[in-house]
Amino acid sequence: MDDRVCVAAIAGAFGVAGEVRLKSFTAEPAAVADYAPLTSEDGARSFEVELMREIKGGFAALLSGVETKEQADALRGLRLYAPRDRLPSLPDDEFYHADLIGVAVYDTGGAPLGKVRAVLNHGATDLLELHVPGQSRTVLLPFTREAVPTVDLTAGRIVADPPEGLLD
Amino acid sequence: MSRSVWKGPFVDAYVLKKAEKSRESGRNEVIKIWSRRSTILPQFVGLTFGVYNGHKHVPVNVSEDMIGQKFGEYAPSRTYYGHAADKKAKRK
Repeated sequence: MDDRVCVAAIAGAFGVAGEVRLKSFTAEPAAVADYAPLTSEDGARSFEVELMREIKGGFAALLSGVETKEQADALRGLRLYAPRDRLPSLPDDEFYHADLIGVAVYDTGGAPLGKVRAVLNHGATDLLELHVPGQSRTVLLPFTREAVPTVDLTAGRIVADPPEGLLD
Repeated sequence: MSRSVWKGPFVDAYVLKKAEKSRESGRNEVIKIWSRRSTILPQFVGLTFGVYNGHKHVPVNVSEDMIGQKFGEYAPSRTYYGHAADKKAKRK
């Protein structure tokens, strides 16, 4: 489990007053400011975030230490990270995608099925996309109590009981 | 123009047959279908269909609030992953 999650990226300067165009990746886009201060990928820079207004594709935002358009332009492409422990705790049977991704999945007999590559939702139940070891294909597993009886994030282990025909 | 009511909802016959067979067997299985155009009927609730999206069969657990929609709506043929960030998944 990573100790930081990517919550936003800077798409460039917005206007001439030192604002940046901020793309939020959070479920509720405006919630990105709640996770401030945000750090760069290497952790060298840290920014307080003030969202000024919503714009097409994101927000116009003021970052601490960024006062001119040139400084804002220099940050284009920078990804902003928040510490994992700043995300609020969740009730039972709810999990952050960031926690599930990369966890190993085993069947009820203990045989490895793969690793979680992504968590998808197309309108029905959530789906775990598993990367099958030694193969280029992926398998979609419904994230239900029947198909996924055990999720043990501390041990980094998910036990799955996939329905017949799912892995064919 | 919307479909005439007197015709009833459209479902490919083989989907009905497969669903009935699966329900009778009582096994926990994925019913693989290619018919994205079929309407979800009340008798499909509780079953898991593998709806083809042109690449693979996407598992779709049918619940009551999906009745009347088409299977294809739950198996998009283009996938956008995005970032995980603080997004949550709930085990139902």
